[in-house]
Amino acid sequence: MPIVFIGYWLLAKKNLFYQNLLLLFSSYFFYACWDYRFLFFLIFSTSLDYYTGIKIYESESQRSRRAWFWLSIVVNLGFLAVFKYYNFFIDSLGLKANLWSLKVILPVGISFYTFHGLSYVIDVYNQKIKPEKSLINYSVFVSFFPLLVAGPIERATHLLPQIIKKREFNYSKAVDGLRQILWGFFKKIVIADSCAKYADEIFLNSTHYFGSTIFLGAFFFAFQVYGDFSGYSDIALGVARLFGIDLLQNFSFPYFSRNIAEFWRRWHISLMSWFRDYLYIPLGGGRDGKWMKARNILIVFFLSGLWHGGRWTYVTWALVNAFYMLPAILLENEKNTQGIVAQGRIMPTVKELISVTTTFLLTILAYVIFRSKDLADAFENFTIIFSKTFFTIPQFVGSNSIGITSFILLSFIVIEWSGREGQYAIERLGFDLPKPLRIIFYYGLLLIITFYAGTKHQFFYFQF
Amino acid sequence: MKTFIKKTLLFILPILLLATVGEVLLRKIPNDYTLKRDYIKEHSKEIELLILGSSHSTYGVNPEYFSSENLKTKSFNASNISQTIDYDYEIFKKYGKDLTGLKYIILPISYFSLYIILDSGDELWRVKNYNIYYGMKKSSNITDYFEILSSEMLTNLKRLYNYYRFGMSHVTCSKYGWRMEFHSKLGVDFLESGKAAAERHSGKGENHLVENSKMLREIIEIANQRGVKILLYTPPAYHTYVDNLDSAQLNTTIDYVKGLPNIYKNTSYINLLSDKDFTKEDFYDADHLNKFGAMKLTKILEEAIKKL
Repeated sequence: MPIVFIGYWLLAKKNLFYQNLLLLFSSYFFYACWDYRFLFFLIFSTSLDYYTGIKIYESESQRSRRAWFWLSIVVNLGFLAVFKYYNFFIDSLGLKANLWSLKVILPVGISFYTFHGLSYVIDVYNQKIKPEKSLINYSVFVSFFPLLVAGPIERATHLLPQIIKKREFNYSKAVDGLRQILWGFFKKIVIADSCAKYADEIFLNSTHYFGSTIFLGAFFFAFQVYGDFSGYSDIALGVARLFGIDLLQNFSFPYFSRNIAEFWRRWHISLMSWFRDYLYIPLGGGRDGKWMKARNILIVFFLSGLWHGGRWTYVTWALVNAFYMLPAILLENEKNTQGIVAQGRIMPTVKELISVTTTFLLTILAYVIFRSKDLADAFENFTIIFSKTFFTIPQFVGSNSIGITSFILLSFIVIEWSGREGQYAIERLGFDLPKPLRIIFYYGLLLIITFYAGTKHQFFYFQF
Repeated sequence: MKTFIKKTLLFILPILLLATVGEVLLRKIPNDYTLKRDYIKEHSKEIELLILGSSHSTYGVNPEYFSSENLKTKSFNASNISQTIDYDYEIFKKYGKDLTGLKYIILPISYFSLYIILDSGDELWRVKNYNIYYGMKKSSNITDYFEILSSEMLTNLKRLYNYYRFGMSHVTCSKYGWRMEFHSKLGVDFLESGKAAAERHSGKGENHLVENSKMLREIIEIANQRGVKILLYTPPAYHTYVDNLDSAQLNTTIDYVKGLPNIYKNTSYINLLSDKDFTKEDFYDADHLNKFGAMKLTKILEEAIKKL
């Protein structure tokens, strides 16, 4: 990456064409390093959407426009269906696994770049944007390497204008990018991987543990998946910023949400806004009364659960979150919370604390489903959680390493809380202090990251 | 832009320096891989018998137990813990051409040998030893080329402290490559160690049979071209290990290797898995021999070598 960075800003000499060409080749190179076998699908999907975008725009009849539109949708979703969901549907239909299942390997990033392409085609069809004439520019939009394998899911209306515009190096932006990358690595390597240790052990052998321990496992999993996914997003956003490109914010301190609806406005923002704009609103949104709104929300959450993969645990987890929101929708007393909790203040009110804690506890309970091996395992885990062993001291309490992990988690929560009004926690941290102190803090973060590095845990969301 | 690069380099320079110093110091700590690499290089013309394989050979075959003086001093145990066939092949490919006096190779074919590879198992962290100390380039993961990146910092700091403060190296082998120390926590519980080892050694849905059997044939064919004879053997194990083995995996492995001497005239095979000569007193744990067992096994292999 340093080579690409230097080449991009120095050798390309502010020449947009060469900058984009370099970005494209390096994106394909990085993707091929990951798995060269599926580069063909990426290029094919990119070319298809590029071509159909132009054809949609140039078509004179609505019939023709619709035909090109559906061609792109069907082919893109078709690939996704085969790679991601074929075996899931075979199993769900109860067909004989050994006869019907395929040993299908999931191309890395397919869920993400497919949705990039779909958003472009839909926006062209709805005449929100004109098709991009340059294949190079369009290909960069789809395969821009920071977001290729795990998002955020970008929109053509947001990213394409930046790609076709000349980029000038901005020192502050680049430094900010590095800062966000550092924080992203801290979240992934220190927070996510430490919590993964406990979550993995507890959920692998959940029947051996008390209800309180399984709940603790879900708590650690909550931070594992947040640290992992938002950490990756921070790294992606930071890297993009080094190249003068701003990506969509993907996480906005979701665990400080005051209700579930707010949580889903702050968690995996790019995916949920994608579903909102391309599914929920076209279905009617909340325009046709509370029952239709509830129906549309259930559909969106069903599909977003499915987006995560062909497992009923993902779908059920998503539907449980939808059901959390239904009472407020059906009783028509949804609280449209504005801003972030305790905005402009250091401490939350008691009411805010209760609502944040309640929301967090509800998400933890839903994570039990997400993390379980299957629905039967999830049911068994809930049975254990809601037994009298819930009131027993968790089995890991007392070990030294969990004490260290808990201390680090608490510090992390404090830092996240203090930086919650920014794009990421340490965006403005220590700016009112002398610069050397900030530098010491960054070195401290690096030291802690180095302490924890060396264990091999892949990014959790790469499997999607 | 230039200011940015300059300031970024200035920021990471102390880290890079520390990391470089740490890496150099870690690589200087003697270990079994450096011992074996250096021995093979220095005695390449003298070695007549090369022992490859995993810990079953590392603990099980001690060249100093050969009765023949010639074999005693001209044999070398180049096996390592968890070394799989693909790495046996790489070692033989890398150093084999310099072993101008080589006459025999002893290679264990254990229950797991055709099913497991180091790169995808729990012992994956050992890959860095082959990349760093043997100069192999099998891994595409950059962390597998640096000591500092392949273990936790605390582990590396402990290693540095223990060596540079107390002189504790990581050499556990004798001069001829036989490993003398045991670190298994389940060393005394044969039931538990047998079950655990059998579970660990099972393919578990992964099956590298095709590639591993290809590696094995490559070793045999290269040896054949050079007039080197190969003795394949299935090491002895205690019944608490054998009883827990998956019969399909075991039978496939044994049947495959049994057929090799019919194809390759330079190859011979003996199956010692349930050999009655080995009793509980010969084992450290359910699938590793202690020094008494190593004495027996070495002698058996010596007799087999003489018949080749």
